[in-house]
Amino acid sequence: MIRETSMKSGWMAALLSTALATAAMAQEPAGPESFRGMVRLNRAPVSNEVLKVKLPRPVERQLSNGMKLVILETNRTPTVSLTIQIPSSPLRDPQGLPGVAEATAAMMMMGTATRSSRQLAESLAEIGATLSIGAGGGGGGRGGGGAAGGDGATGTIALNSLDEYFDQALAIMTDVVLHPAFPADEFEKWKARQRGTIEQSRTQPAALSSEVLMRVLYPNDARRFTRITAASLDKITRENLIEHYKKYYVPSGDWGGMVGDIAPRDAVAKLEKALGNWKGGPVEAISLPIDPPIAEKKVYLVSRPGSVQTELTLANRAIARTNPDYIACMVMNQVLGSGPAARLFRIIREEKGYTYGVSSSFAATKFTAHFTSSMSVRTEVTEPALADLLKEFHEIRDVPVPKEELEGAKRALAASFAVGLENPAGVLNRWMQQREYGLPEDYWDTYTEKIAAITAADVQRVAKKYVPYDNVQIVAVGDGDKIRSSLKKFGPVEEVPPGN
Amino acid sequence: MKPFVIALTLVGVAIAQQPSPGIPKIKFTDTTLDNGLRVLISEDHYAPVYAICISYKVGSRDERPGRTGFAHLFEHMMFKGSENVGTGELDFLIYNNGGNSNGTTNTDRTSYYEVLPKNQVDLGLYLEADRMHGLVITQENLENQRQAVKEERRLRVDNQAYGQTSEKVEELIYDNFAYHHPVVGSMEDLDAASVDDVKQFFKTYYAPNNAVLALVGDLNTAETLAKVKKYFGAIPRQTPPKPVDLSEQPLKAERRATLQDPLARLAEVDIAYRIPDATSPETQALGVAASILGGGGRGGRGGGGGGNTSRLYNLLVQDKEVALNVSAGAERRGGPGIFHVTATIRQGKTPQEVEGLIEEEISKLYSQPVSDKELQRARIAIRRSAENRLTALSRAQALADAAAVYNDPNRVNTEIPAELAVTAADIQKAAKDLLVQQNRVVVVTMPTGGGRGGRRGGQ
Repeated sequence: MIRETSMKSGWMAALLSTALATAAMAQEPAGPESFRGMVRLNRAPVSNEVLKVKLPRPVERQLSNGMKLVILETNRTPTVSLTIQIPSSPLRDPQGLPGVAEATAAMMMMGTATRSSRQLAESLAEIGATLSIGAGGGGGGRGGGGAAGGDGATGTIALNSLDEYFDQALAIMTDVVLHPAFPADEFEKWKARQRGTIEQSRTQPAALSSEVLMRVLYPNDARRFTRITAASLDKITRENLIEHYKKYYVPSGDWGGMVGDIAPRDAVAKLEKALGNWKGGPVEAISLPIDPPIAEKKVYLVSRPGSVQTELTLANRAIARTNPDYIACMVMNQVLGSGPAARLFRIIREEKGYTYGVSSSFAATKFTAHFTSSMSVRTEVTEPALADLLKEFHEIRDVPVPKEELEGAKRALAASFAVGLENPAGVLNRWMQQREYGLPEDYWDTYTEKIAAITAADVQRVAKKYVPYDNVQIVAVGDGDKIRSSLKKFGPVEEVPPGN
Repeated sequence: MKPFVIALTLVGVAIAQQPSPGIPKIKFTDTTLDNGLRVLISEDHYAPVYAICISYKVGSRDERPGRTGFAHLFEHMMFKGSENVGTGELDFLIYNNGGNSNGTTNTDRTSYYEVLPKNQVDLGLYLEADRMHGLVITQENLENQRQAVKEERRLRVDNQAYGQTSEKVEELIYDNFAYHHPVVGSMEDLDAASVDDVKQFFKTYYAPNNAVLALVGDLNTAETLAKVKKYFGAIPRQTPPKPVDLSEQPLKAERRATLQDPLARLAEVDIAYRIPDATSPETQALGVAASILGGGGRGGRGGGGGGNTSRLYNLLVQDKEVALNVSAGAERRGGPGIFHVTATIRQGKTPQEVEGLIEEEISKLYSQPVSDKELQRARIAIRRSAENRLTALSRAQALADAAAVYNDPNRVNTEIPAELAVTAADIQKAAKDLLVQQNRVVVVTMPTGGGRGGRRGGQ
């Protein structure tokens, strides 16, 4: 398991070797031409080379207690950032009691055997450190494409500190992880606060939409909850949290990561000393099915009287991160709905003027596997905006992507790789992802080649498979009386009371 | 594109400034071309990336009655094509070469950026130069951007709970029209904007002598400067716009308003004090005061996951349990800014009760100095805020804004040390002078209709 491939010098060397290499995806010179929603004059000076960059490799380490982590040394800032993954997850919440993992994570910061919640907060603030315990996103709602630690199947303990105070920060973290007190009075306060927060979230169209969407896509298991419920708050006890803590706050989770101004040797020594007594696990793996897309189209309406916009989300189940279609889906989505060069932005926002923002994305992790596209449109254009968005879905499914547009999308993904090097935490995240999903060792080294290999036929094939059309699931949050009859044209409408 | 004639004088100055310990100094060159374009270049060879940011010295403060929201609407027009760049082509070229771009408008300036791999320096410069010198302004482009901006207003303001609240605060706290109206403008004014307005605005404000160009990243300063001259050198200067008067008469008495908000479910209380511009020592002191009063988790990324040590959080949320959340902040502007406290009121509690407690806590700031521990916590959080200037883009934006709004790009190196130098006595004095009843605005937002006492939700 010990394989020291790159120390600090390796990181620099990797960057220095960043060479201007003529890549396979050079743009072909072209005269003025246009495609939908865009006029190309082709006069701006563009370098036809795609920077060939090699992602700096972290080192792998395993502590004696079983904890695995990848470490990337960089002196970009005088800080150290540590993320430990633990098996805690909302996906492990007991049947009928969603929110146990979430409540446990929150209460971990509310006091230890020797520190009150306020003392904890103050001791961290005194050294400018942050410690956050994350429950994992549960279903997690929309968005995102497969970042490590964000797949809902794993909880995280994240510590961020100036390097000069790292020992102190680590000591506080160790106290939190090993000796949480779950004080009863703090728990009651937290529950009261959650009731208010749930009430607040009922005002937010995006929160309402996300709640319904997850329930529709994952009706049969814990993925359907985006957060603790009011019913759960009435039932949940301190004992539930302690039980969850004992079982799942163990050092046998997925790959953790550490990035910053610290040598791997020192990092391991410090962690061994601090966390050597933290033991437990392994725990049983989570097993949840990735179901095929829902077959029948349907519209879910959350009425929010007084709304001046309709928040629309079109979705269906799609792929997990490890699906072989993943790269083809990324390329397809780059053409369809990722960023302002994509079709949805060009047509739905710029040409039609229906919305300020529109995009599409795949949520593709271990247990979250869906495609979504969202926009907020003024109430009056709810119907034409939906129709035109679906027209774009139809187009990408039924018409091969023109060559120039496809090459542009592939270049976008390949060339942005170099831009990502600016952020060491992002680089580390890619490696955590590679290990978490069991991707090949050379996955990032051959990433651009994999993108280059995608054809127009691949794009069309995955679009047909994963961009919903005849079976689209639509969630609409808006003024029900004004949009109900329009929505009926897109499928059978089910009314969902807000917050139910 | 038009052959640009290269003619300029080089006034390059390398800035040297003593940084605070542990905070890396940002080195840059400062050059003004013959046509008045100020160019700031800062090398950073960490990654093969660079960022370009151009800030124009025009914001909503420059708008006149009947045309609110215009500076921001104009920002959208800058993405609709120019003499040598087709509609939608700018985003296509940036994103499909691995980069990203956007524009932002605030009260004091309008700025545009691109982040690109280092081999695309010409591309970024060409795109910015082309739209500075030859923006295509058509009725059709104006119409569809008008729609996009109106949707932006609906998304951010009209369709959100508490959306109108901050507009009401600005309306009450400023008498001078410059800051009295919201950046996004009113629907009515957005409808009234004409193609002639756009053309005139472009000519007046989008001139090289009214802009600052900052480039940061894996660049060679001399080569980059030569390219800047090549692409921007021939764009003619224009008659400079008249500086806007931002001055305000002192507030003479507290101003209050109560709003009914059909989209909200809980009441909110907003208390705002008028403070001097961002360069004033009092504003710096109040920035630290805000962090002690209701900052919470400014330290580093991860945003306060370690809990909240602020006075108002502990009083209102944790001990008395009257508020769901509370925050305080000092909004720094080129002209008078705002010291702002916001609290969401829990069900069964009243805005009056919370307002009274906040007022009491603020008065403690002038009756006794803040503790050394509090000051130390605030200082280390300020020190860690230097990490927010890590990316090429964040530095390019900071440099361009500091030069465009404050005529002082070296603010990127002096701002944090100035905040670190704030003492307990500075805070006490600034609070005594400015956080007083006659200098404040109170807006209470009450939920109406569906929400309150309604269903609790539950699965």
